[in-house]
Amino acid sequence: MRPIRYAGIHSIIPPYMLEEIAKRGKPHQQDWALRSLTSAGFIRGQRYALGILPSAAPVGHKSRTVYDCKRKDGQPPTGTLARKEGDPRSKDVAVNEAYDGAGATYELYDDIYGRNSIDNRGMAIVSYVHYDVDYDNAFWDGSEMVYGDGDGEIFARFTKCIDVIGHELTHGVTQYEANLAYSDQPGALNESMSDVFGSLVKQRTLKQTAAKADWLIGAGLLMPKIHGKALRSMKAPGTAYDDPVLGKDPQPATMKDYVQTTSDNGGVHINSGIPNHAFYLAAIKIGGNAWTKAGKIWYIALQDRLRSKSNFAGAASATISVAKDLYGNGSKEMKAVQNAWKGVGVI
Amino acid sequence: MRISIERSGGFAGLTMRTTVDEKEVAADEALKLRQLVEEANFFNLPGKIVSRSPQPDRFQYELRLEEKGRQYAVMVSEEVMPEKLKPLVKWLMEKARQTRKGTESR
Repeated sequence: MRPIRYAGIHSIIPPYMLEEIAKRGKPHQQDWALRSLTSAGFIRGQRYALGILPSAAPVGHKSRTVYDCKRKDGQPPTGTLARKEGDPRSKDVAVNEAYDGAGATYELYDDIYGRNSIDNRGMAIVSYVHYDVDYDNAFWDGSEMVYGDGDGEIFARFTKCIDVIGHELTHGVTQYEANLAYSDQPGALNESMSDVFGSLVKQRTLKQTAAKADWLIGAGLLMPKIHGKALRSMKAPGTAYDDPVLGKDPQPATMKDYVQTTSDNGGVHINSGIPNHAFYLAAIKIGGNAWTKAGKIWYIALQDRLRSKSNFAGAASATISVAKDLYGNGSKEMKAVQNAWKGVGVI
Repeated sequence: MRISIERSGGFAGLTMRTTVDEKEVAADEALKLRQLVEEANFFNLPGKIVSRSPQPDRFQYELRLEEKGRQYAVMVSEEVMPEKLKPLVKWLMEKARQTRKGTESR
């Protein structure tokens, strides 16, 4: 990484600040910021994480706040406080969904994996709802979650599905742990981790075993007239929707159908189908509640074994070695994880 | 002038795309398109405007413009999109929404 010289000071300007300058600065500043963002390069991780801490100071216990953007966009998002920890329910369903979903996600990580919030230091969980107009998306911006209302034709509001909320929050967890690079195989693993723990938040909330769960991501997010039950299926990748408007779910289940593309940061939302299906196969084979054993194996791999450039093969060896450490060499759990990665053609 | 847009990524990972040819749209639309392309200073944008620390689940856009044998493509991430490019992208995405036939899975 090359330090950037600006205003006579050697300093590392955090990317979010560069992004702000690129958007709001004077023309010559914008050009400089754009160049810095696109050429100088940044290493994600601690430095970036530290840069964003002031906006979400550690509090050491569950602390949720939800802001209403009132259909305005902007970066970072802005809004008025709609509900904070301990407040009574709001009249606004999106506010309550964001609040409850953040709570269920916090509790999965806290109760089952002993993790104290997104950063494991009790970071406050901040959500923004009603972002922009007809915005068909939800995202983690590096320090908070942002949800659109959907266009009402294809998509409903993005807070509607608790697994979407678990998905976005898990992007935060990943940023503080393995910090998987957001492109190609590491990016698809990053996406898959979010789908895995998003689905586990939903399964635990519904008290469903691996065998009972639907393993769908975003069920109910597509409007009723769209031909599709969800956006992704961990059980059967590629079968979530098939619609004249949206086309067909492009997810592969195995390596032989891996999609090479420059779109979507190298197909991170497409090839995530492969590690998603591996998790499903492992969880089904192990049996019981998926968050207990399979979830724990994946969580420890994310926390301790994976690195920013880890690929699918790296995820396979990480999860197999965690299963071995937790449950014993040659254990049923270890074999289930091994066979899962074999089943999707990674090993 | 012929311009195409492809939006990929987002939580849903759905790809939307459309192409607008100024010869195939009404005169006022063609004029609007020319204005937006000029405002964006399209041919002078970097070919790749992406953050080295991409925000997960943001949209990624690819724009391709052909004019008099000249071709130029710009790949841009939603979170670092230059202000001057936003109106063009918004206009094109509205077109994609209207036609819908430009919508495919990838």
